[in-house]
Amino acid sequence: MSSSTEQAVAAEAISADLLGFVERQTKASVTADLDLFGSGLVSSLFAMQLVVHVESTFGVSVQGEDLKLDNFRTVNAITDLVLRLRGNGDG
Amino acid sequence: MADPYAVAAELVTQAVGTRADEWDRAGRLPGDVVRHLAAQGVLCPDVPAEFGGMGLTSGELGALTAHAGGLCSSLRSLMTSQGMAAWAIRRLGDDRQKEAFVRRLASGATAAIAFSEIGAGSDLSAMTTSVTLSGDRVEVSGTKVWVTGAAYADLIVVFGRHGDGGAVVVVPADAPGVTVTPVGDPLGCRAAGHAEVELDAVTLPADHMLGGAGLPMEWLVTSVLTHGRLSVAWGCVGILRACLAAAVRHAGTREQFGKPLADHQLVARHLAELHVAEQASTLMCEHASRRWDDGSPEQVGAAVAAKHFAATQAAKGAASAVQVLASAAARDGHVVARAYRDAKLMEIIEGSSEISQLLLARQARELWT
Ligand SMILES: Cc1cc2nc3c(=O)[nH]c(=O)nc-3n(C[C@H](O)[C@H](O)[C@H](O)COP(=O)(O)OP(=O)(O)OC[C@H]3O[C@@H](n4cnc5c(N)ncnc54)[C@H](O)[C@@H]3O)c2cc1C
Repeated sequence: MSSSTEQAVAAEAISADLLGFVERQTKASVTADLDLFGSGLVSSLFAMQLVVHVESTFGVSVQGEDLKLDNFRTVNAITDLVLRLRGNGDG
Repeated sequence: MADPYAVAAELVTQAVGTRADEWDRAGRLPGDVVRHLAAQGVLCPDVPAEFGGMGLTSGELGALTAHAGGLCSSLRSLMTSQGMAAWAIRRLGDDRQKEAFVRRLASGATAAIAFSEIGAGSDLSAMTTSVTLSGDRVEVSGTKVWVTGAAYADLIVVFGRHGDGGAVVVVPADAPGVTVTPVGDPLGCRAAGHAEVELDAVTLPADHMLGGAGLPMEWLVTSVLTHGRLSVAWGCVGILRACLAAAVRHAGTREQFGKPLADHQLVARHLAELHVAEQASTLMCEHASRRWDDGSPEQVGAAVAAKHFAATQAAKGAASAVQVLASAAARDGHVVARAYRDAKLMEIIEGSSEISQLLLARQARELWT
């Protein structure tokens, strides 16, 4: 496989995991481009649960400048973040 | 190599000795005791070895916290605060900040953590302390209240408003513009060095502001409060153990109506309830710590549940212990009298019982809908 195909496969798997996690936690059906925080869907405790889930599931550590709302706003944004952190040799 | 938990527990035992009563009455921990424990890394023993810490797991930290909480809740409160401060920096800081601050906290520096303000107790979104960046400087202005350990602290980790969200700044207590004024005569944890912290246009290098600046305040506080809730919950387990030991000893030896108090059924019931409260609280804490050690997202809710349960049990259990000891515990300084005052405050801090109940009700509805 070319590396861009690999990337696409990885992105799909990450996105599917995240959608599953958010749907389990919220009992709502969620799309990858839904604004999780603008939608009022998630509780105040959820944000940190999401960060912890991302770190433990994908073996990355989200810290410093990467801890910002825009990186977690949608499943697509989180997927990009995970791919980027892995690319940096962080995972 | 010696088991780091055993080393830390022995350091705490030695440091406290039989002096907790005296510290409670004086409202002050001796400076050399605080310095010694800080230098050994015992105040934030979960800091990993890469930053010079003891590297305890959450489960081991919990056991140590319960041990300290059974001896002296004031010292345990300092551990809670220093632990939260070190965790805030580990959670939000970048590599350089961790290297700069966490290493210091594991090797002698002391820290406090400041959320609360006169107008922002339960409702932290009402904070008015401001954090403003200009060029390579960050300015912090506001007044924090009831900051545990501030009277002993070298560094104060301060939460404030920043843009649409919040930010966290590591403020050296000796920076110009910082004024620390101890709270007079607190109800409990009397030697924990609670203080008001005034920050009058305190200006620091911008790298004292941690990452995550601009995140909603709830994001910033939740992870740090989760660490604190676990610590308070384990501290309450310690309070229950101290009460249980004192109540069992007293009820087994003091006689009234021709037999030991423990042989009167109404007194025995107090012992039974304390016994169960200690076990159930321990299990709730162990569960929450395991979730933390596993990196499970359930740690957040489990910590709220453990804190709420253990604090409620400790307050109730300490009241029962006073009942069993009666006049024998009815003076300041006595382990059970301290437990009674200290435990009540555990129902107020790190999310009061009511605030915990609101969070838990939401959790229940998410889980059971
Ligand atoms: C010993 C001690 C140590 C502390 N250490 C620190 C520290 O290190 N750092 C720090 O930042 N702060 C610290 N605090 C402050 C502490 O966090 C606050 O006291 C706590 O958040 C409660 O705020 P409050 O006292 O203003 O009470 P309030 O918020 O005024 O609440 C009063 C009562 O109303 C209830 N209540 C409030 N809102 C609701 C609601 N929506 N629904 C139902 N009931 C509600 C509360 O549960 C409480 O029973 C400490 C306090 C104490 C007593």
